[in-house]
Amino acid sequence: MAYLVNRLMSVALTLFLISIVTFGITNILPGDVAMMIMGTQSNPEALEGLRQSLGLNDPLLVQYGRWIGGMLSGNWGESLLFNEPIAPLIAQKVLASGLIVVMTMMMALAFAIPLGVWAARHRDRWQDTTSSTVALLGLSMPDFFIGIMLILLFAAGLGWLPSSGFVDPAEDFLGAVRHAFMPSLALALGLMAHLTRMTRSAMMGILNQEFIRVARAKGLPERTVVWGYALPNAIGPVMTVAGLQIGYLFGSIIVIESLFSYTGMGWLTYQALLNRDIPLIQSTIFVIAAVVMLVNLAVDLLYRVIDPRIRLG
Amino acid sequence: MLDQTPQQPLVSIENLRVEFDGESGPIVGVKDVSFTVNPGETVCVVGESGSGKSVTSLSLLRLVEFGGGRIVSGRLWFRPGEGEAIDLAQMPAEKMIDLRGDRIGMIFQEPMTALNPVFTIGRQLTDGLRRHRGLPASEADARAIELLREVRLPEPERRLRQYPHELSGGMRQRVVIAMAMACRPQLLIADEPTTALDVTIQAEILGLIKRLKREFGMAVLFITHDMAVVAQLADRVVVMRHGEKVEDGPVERIFADPQADYTKALLASVPKLGEMRGKLAPEPLRIPGAPEPAAQKPASRSETGRAVLSVKGLTTRFPVKGGLLRRVVANVHAVENVSFELGHGETLALVGESGCGKSTTARSILRLVEPTSGDVVMDGQDILGLDAGGLRRARRNMQMVFQDPFASLNPFMRLRKQVAEPILNFDLARGSELDDRIAFLFDRVGLPRDFMRRFPHELSGGQRQRVAIARALSVNPKLIIADEAVSALDVSVQAQVLNLLMELQAEFGLSYLFISHDMAVVERVSHRVGVMYLGRIVEIGSRADIFEDPRHSYTRALLAGVPIADPTKRTLKESIEFKPLPSPVFPVGEARPAPVYEEVAPGHFVLGNE
Repeated sequence: MAYLVNRLMSVALTLFLISIVTFGITNILPGDVAMMIMGTQSNPEALEGLRQSLGLNDPLLVQYGRWIGGMLSGNWGESLLFNEPIAPLIAQKVLASGLIVVMTMMMALAFAIPLGVWAARHRDRWQDTTSSTVALLGLSMPDFFIGIMLILLFAAGLGWLPSSGFVDPAEDFLGAVRHAFMPSLALALGLMAHLTRMTRSAMMGILNQEFIRVARAKGLPERTVVWGYALPNAIGPVMTVAGLQIGYLFGSIIVIESLFSYTGMGWLTYQALLNRDIPLIQSTIFVIAAVVMLVNLAVDLLYRVIDPRIRLG
Repeated sequence: MLDQTPQQPLVSIENLRVEFDGESGPIVGVKDVSFTVNPGETVCVVGESGSGKSVTSLSLLRLVEFGGGRIVSGRLWFRPGEGEAIDLAQMPAEKMIDLRGDRIGMIFQEPMTALNPVFTIGRQLTDGLRRHRGLPASEADARAIELLREVRLPEPERRLRQYPHELSGGMRQRVVIAMAMACRPQLLIADEPTTALDVTIQAEILGLIKRLKREFGMAVLFITHDMAVVAQLADRVVVMRHGEKVEDGPVERIFADPQADYTKALLASVPKLGEMRGKLAPEPLRIPGAPEPAAQKPASRSETGRAVLSVKGLTTRFPVKGGLLRRVVANVHAVENVSFELGHGETLALVGESGCGKSTTARSILRLVEPTSGDVVMDGQDILGLDAGGLRRARRNMQMVFQDPFASLNPFMRLRKQVAEPILNFDLARGSELDDRIAFLFDRVGLPRDFMRRFPHELSGGQRQRVAIARALSVNPKLIIADEAVSALDVSVQAQVLNLLMELQAEFGLSYLFISHDMAVVERVSHRVGVMYLGRIVEIGSRADIFEDPRHSYTRALLAGVPIADPTKRTLKESIEFKPLPSPVFPVGEARPAPVYEEVAPGHFVLGNE
């Protein structure tokens, strides 16, 4: 319990620091919200009036207080670009991207864990080399390139999957999965390499442990020894790396969602940046940071469920 | 192989050869080894590292294949139940797993890592039963509780729900033995099962194995490097070296009348508890083939009248943090009010079991950990009062030799540089003077001069420990703290390094603070001995005081636990019950009473209050 409270406090502290950074950067950048709204060619007096009414001339601390107060009370303001309230907009996009993130992670782990286990069981033999090669192939190609190849193969060539667009999972779950499939696969192939290497090295360490020999000496079949005895011990570090990759994933998502015209958080962030929609930029960055941290918190908590040494220690 | 003697062997290994894949062709792990194990018999396979003793035992279970080994030739006859002997070397892998853990059980060296940390004890005890016997969960649990009773683990019902990290090393080894015993095997293979354990726990575990063997008529194949354990346990002995059998025979014959030179050397290298009785000074071991060692001088503390090292009321505590704000909630009392003096040219040994605070005492003296309170005076200088620069200069006089020579040398540095580093550090010599000094040091510790250009991985464990000693000697220290400096070495190498330490003491008048858990080694090397328990010195006195007239109950228990390398003096008790060690963790602010020592004889002090 003390652990959870400690972790939540550290999450809150980090979010506070991120809020200062995002707020600060958007204020340092040239051009302000008033100029964005009225355009660069606008009347200086009208501009000054708008600044006054938006409170842009207040001291920074007051502006920050107003902004963070709004964030905390759910009043995130309006997007200049879309002319609608930011909070519901982001909620919808988080859900859309959430589907991609979850599918990406599931696919990446589904490839990486067997590949890593296979490599560890046959270390320094051809299986190990093959596994590394496959994993590195995914890593060495940029994900937008993989995305284009996938579009050429599955959409243009075979016609199995839609090449672009987004379907709300609440309305048509299967359709949503079909639309999210290629972007997720493109991202998963990139993530796979780290996870494969991590699985390999964690499994190699575990397979050399004495309790694995003990399990074999008990007459347990090799399948049970590897998947039932060794893997539960190796999964912790793999999950930690997977959690950290969620952060990178949000960077890649900006490119991939644009490529597939998938209107999720990445696409929204890109649009906000492109159009200098400052309130929206602030909110998206803040939300992404919060999501990344909460996912990592969840991973660490899951780790404690898996490993009794941490749970009770 | 079916000889018609009345008792047919349970196991008969014939001309076993095992190879491993090396970078330049196969490496032979075992070549042409043959011996038998009869039903209900204990056969000890003894040898030093690289002798092939573990490979032989792993081959019998065909586990050697998982380590990259290959049984190239030979037969491994095993007679399951009343049936015909089968050749395990030819068994298909899928049939082999039916025998493993069922007819043949195995226990390993490291109890701390022998259990899967993420599963409960109960699950690990029962999975073999479910696999081989198909027992339903409730029956398997009942059987697991029964097994834990057999290995005398208290509160068996609670243990089933516990995880390995909640158990001590001795308790875990009991669980591992219970696991191996689950299906009532005909043969128990024990690969160094007590090497990682403290002596009192070793005595418990050896007694347990002996009792289980008698109760269930099981044969035991016991792999060890420790001649004393062999003497206590074996019916017959197989001596191995470099992958070959040197000799085998009944245990009494091997000890009384060894045939092979290697066996003689091995037996001579083992310090035997009690053989120093009546001697005034430490005495180097006599190793056949090596030159006659010079005699040691008795300690000369009285001559100089002043101690080289004087420790008073040394206390070191480590905080235990917890709660919301990571506040100190308790303290581990690692070293508690320890006082002693060490004279010029004298060896004081601190002995005790793991966790007794002996290593922390050594580190506190050097201020590698900061003591909580106390006084350390080295050669008239107050060590605990020094600033960083003063401490650095003072450390020139006190050097340390660590336990693990594989970890204490920098793998990226040539050996010459490792030995030169302290000299350059204190700017004691340069140029040709430096070269001469290093050459002298290499000569002195018995290493060839061309080793200077080598890297640590090119050396054996004993050679590395010699480098560590040369490095410690390089700055002409007055005091060397040797923290389990010979514990990781093979017995014959251990004997050489011990002799080297004693020679260097005689030559340079060094004082040693010798930290060890091995009572027989301590008896060999020390002038005086301090016995530590739970952070305190419970008894301190001359070697003769401690070994010939022990007064404190813990000293006596420690001495009683030491196996004696003599098969005619068997002291193993089958009924030693599990005794948990009290905790050294105390609440914050807990003031421990100052120790009161009773001087039972001149210089022989025994702790009077606990």
